[in-house]
Amino acid sequence: MSFLKKLFKPFMVVAPYVLRNGQTIGFPTERPIFSERFRGRHRLYLDRCVSCNTCVRLCPDKSIELVEVEGREGKFPQIDYQTCSLCGYCVEFCPKSALEFTDLVEYSVTDRSELIYSPERLAEVPDIKEVLPMLKRRTERYLTETEIKSRTVEEL
Amino acid sequence: MTMISGLMLWRLVVTCVYLPTELIGKWISDMINWGLDLLFHLPAYTVEFLALNSKPLLQVLILPGLAFVLVFAIIAVWFERKFLARAMLRVGPYYCGKKSGVLQVFADFLKLFMKEIIVPEGIDFLFFAAMPILVSTVPAMALILIPFDQNWVLWDIGSLSMPMFFAIAGLAPLIPIFAGWAANNKYTFIGAFRVAYMYISAEIPLVLCGAAVAIMAGSFDLLKIVEAQKSMWFAVPQFVGFVIFFLGVIIEAERTPFDIPVAEVELVLGWRTEYSGILFGFTMMAEYVLFQAWSLLFITLYLGGFNGPNIFGNITLSHIFWLLVKFVILVVLIILIRCVFPRLRLDQMLKLGWRYMTPLAVINLALVLVMKLGGIY
Amino acid sequence: MSEPEIKPDIMRMSWGPQHPMSGQTRILLDVDGEKVHRIIADLGFTHRGIEKTLENRTFFQGIIPIERMVMADTANIGLGYITAIEESLGIEVPERANWIRSLLCEMGRINSHLYAFGLQAEATGYFPAVFLWTTTDRTVLLKLFEELTGARWSYNFSLPGGVYKDLPEGFEAKVIEGVHYLRRRFEDYWTAMVENAVFEARCDNVAVLKPEDAIRLGATGPVLRGSGVALDVRKDEPYAAYADLDFDVITEPACDVMARTKVRFKEIGQSLRIMEQIANEVPGGPVRTRVPLIPRSKPGEVLSRVETARGEMDVHMFTDGGSNPYRVKIGSPTLRNMYVFERLAELDEVLMADIPVVINSIDPWYLDSDR
Repeated sequence: MSFLKKLFKPFMVVAPYVLRNGQTIGFPTERPIFSERFRGRHRLYLDRCVSCNTCVRLCPDKSIELVEVEGREGKFPQIDYQTCSLCGYCVEFCPKSALEFTDLVEYSVTDRSELIYSPERLAEVPDIKEVLPMLKRRTERYLTETEIKSRTVEEL
Repeated sequence: MTMISGLMLWRLVVTCVYLPTELIGKWISDMINWGLDLLFHLPAYTVEFLALNSKPLLQVLILPGLAFVLVFAIIAVWFERKFLARAMLRVGPYYCGKKSGVLQVFADFLKLFMKEIIVPEGIDFLFFAAMPILVSTVPAMALILIPFDQNWVLWDIGSLSMPMFFAIAGLAPLIPIFAGWAANNKYTFIGAFRVAYMYISAEIPLVLCGAAVAIMAGSFDLLKIVEAQKSMWFAVPQFVGFVIFFLGVIIEAERTPFDIPVAEVELVLGWRTEYSGILFGFTMMAEYVLFQAWSLLFITLYLGGFNGPNIFGNITLSHIFWLLVKFVILVVLIILIRCVFPRLRLDQMLKLGWRYMTPLAVINLALVLVMKLGGIY
Repeated sequence: MSEPEIKPDIMRMSWGPQHPMSGQTRILLDVDGEKVHRIIADLGFTHRGIEKTLENRTFFQGIIPIERMVMADTANIGLGYITAIEESLGIEVPERANWIRSLLCEMGRINSHLYAFGLQAEATGYFPAVFLWTTTDRTVLLKLFEELTGARWSYNFSLPGGVYKDLPEGFEAKVIEGVHYLRRRFEDYWTAMVENAVFEARCDNVAVLKPEDAIRLGATGPVLRGSGVALDVRKDEPYAAYADLDFDVITEPACDVMARTKVRFKEIGQSLRIMEQIANEVPGGPVRTRVPLIPRSKPGEVLSRVETARGEMDVHMFTDGGSNPYRVKIGSPTLRNMYVFERLAELDEVLMADIPVVINSIDPWYLDSDR
């Protein structure tokens, strides 16, 4: 009798799942909202950096190098995203808080030399609609009794 | 002397040169006349041919022929992908075809047409290339025996139809065995052996159950079996046979939990490993054609075939409609079973086949004999 | 006339790197029909030289490569290295930081065990339902990680001296909500997967490993506890906050594949219990002590052990007074369990169809054994 129970009970448990909605986020028309500590691409504040070399010495992947910038004195960091592992040492230990994280993670390119971000490029963060033209909504996940659902937070 | 040779020369010229040329010319002009005659009367001949054989042509091309098999294969692939995706809490194919992914199957087939067919070294090329083509056409040949209505049977051979079905469908396991041996690969070799083991143990209970149904209906003809179920489906008095045949359909169609020859976690696709390109497409389609053939037979033997109330006015259309409705429900149920259970091991499946299914099928046959001789049914 | 002698034809198959289910390894099987006579594990496909890399990086920089050793529960692996550094440099860690580290470790453990479940379900034959349910449920944990640390996989949140940042506002309530959700889901898992007739038929009495053999061959983790031996580093030599937390060590008497699956299942229950305790009772205080960014070590040698999801991991570190460690030797759990796996063909009868099921019951992560 318990054999029959073990044969039919999984059926009763699994079969109703067919009626549920999928829990996939439909990228690129939707994009989730990330938390404020999320580690995406860097952002550089050119006015705060003093070329102290701390980020260069701390980086475990040796992705930061200080280079000259037109029209400013001193050297500023250039980050190579081919090797950067987004660990957060440069952001955490910069004495002037010149580097911070944004939430852009869509920086894939077809030419590898474009992945080396010069300081001017690090200083400007484009809008999310320029990076993803097909984006329509930003969603957020929340838990209910039985499933994980997503609701729209912002329409674009 | 010269006058005699002159006459002989004249006769020689006439017989050897003039006459043959004239004969050949006459022959050529006759052929041309015949061709022109055919060409001008061709439309009339075509129309007369079509009008005379309209129903067999409709059957061959649409139902239960080419279009039915191909459309079912395409719809079943799409439906299975979406259905399983819902059970897994995700969406299936989404982008091809306006958020429902219907065109994804066409896209996949088109991609398979354009891929290169890689032929490994040391194989037996005749068997390697011929087996995928056979593996999807031999079950289709068994499919044409199923009656969709009293007058809608494509291959009407009367009282030989059920044994013929078993005979043709019994050829189906030979093809993976040949294919697995011909591909010169350890994985396919083991897959071929597993096919042999599995089908031998599954065919015997199925044939015994088919024999029990034939005894209860009084004939081997599939049409008469369907007619004998007008009052009560055979699933009710022969409950044991019903369960065994249901398991047998899943085993023969090689679906989870019995898709042991194509166990992707141990043997990379079993006997299908070395196929690429359109040959792989054929092997994929073969699974669905075999599934279709056996499940239609199951409905015909146990679930009343095309019987059902007349809701369209035209009895042929109603019968076809009811058969298709039962078929769709059975297909959905078998796909749902795939969601729920993992795969059995080969020795467990053989134990199931020999220790449980065969004795139960014999008991089923004995019960049917008792019912028939005792006059209960 | 005597009967001809039947010699089995042994075929050497390679359950190899080009295979849908093998992962990044190659296992040679000597089979004859279905029975496996000998298993030879050919590891080393993913050797990246982590131990050598650590000699060329300072202590802080070395945490990043070592965290990428096992991606499923990075917290435990990173903690092993960090406790070794703290022991060799003599750094004190505040109490609140210890509790937060335990929270991270337990969340990583649940993450890894859910992933192991999904692979086990797939290995028994493409069990579509359960395999992707686990992936969906891991998003709950990944979202919690993202709010706490900022990354979903490899967080880099502990450092010598404590943790980077404090818990954000309202985090404890979210943890408790996640715990309740996962508890409700596990009833579904239990009925659909563990008490499934076909799953039991595949997993009962397969690859039995007796307790004496398990101890003699050096098994660790759920493999050892599934054979009835109650050894767990969290209870034997408590680190982080485990001395103050209340949990049980799960063992199962039947020594087969099903026992190991059940051990992992119930360990998730214990981890949820620990997470609830931490969310309710975490003490206040600072979370970090100040440590120089490039510290210099004293000459010596230090050994630290942690309990990762797969078993016990050791970090044996030699320092010589510079700012880099002199030599780091990592004892990985997967390598020990793969040794046990090789001997299973001699201990019990294993059929070829059982090989994926048995491998996934040992739960290997090949990047861990190759380092």
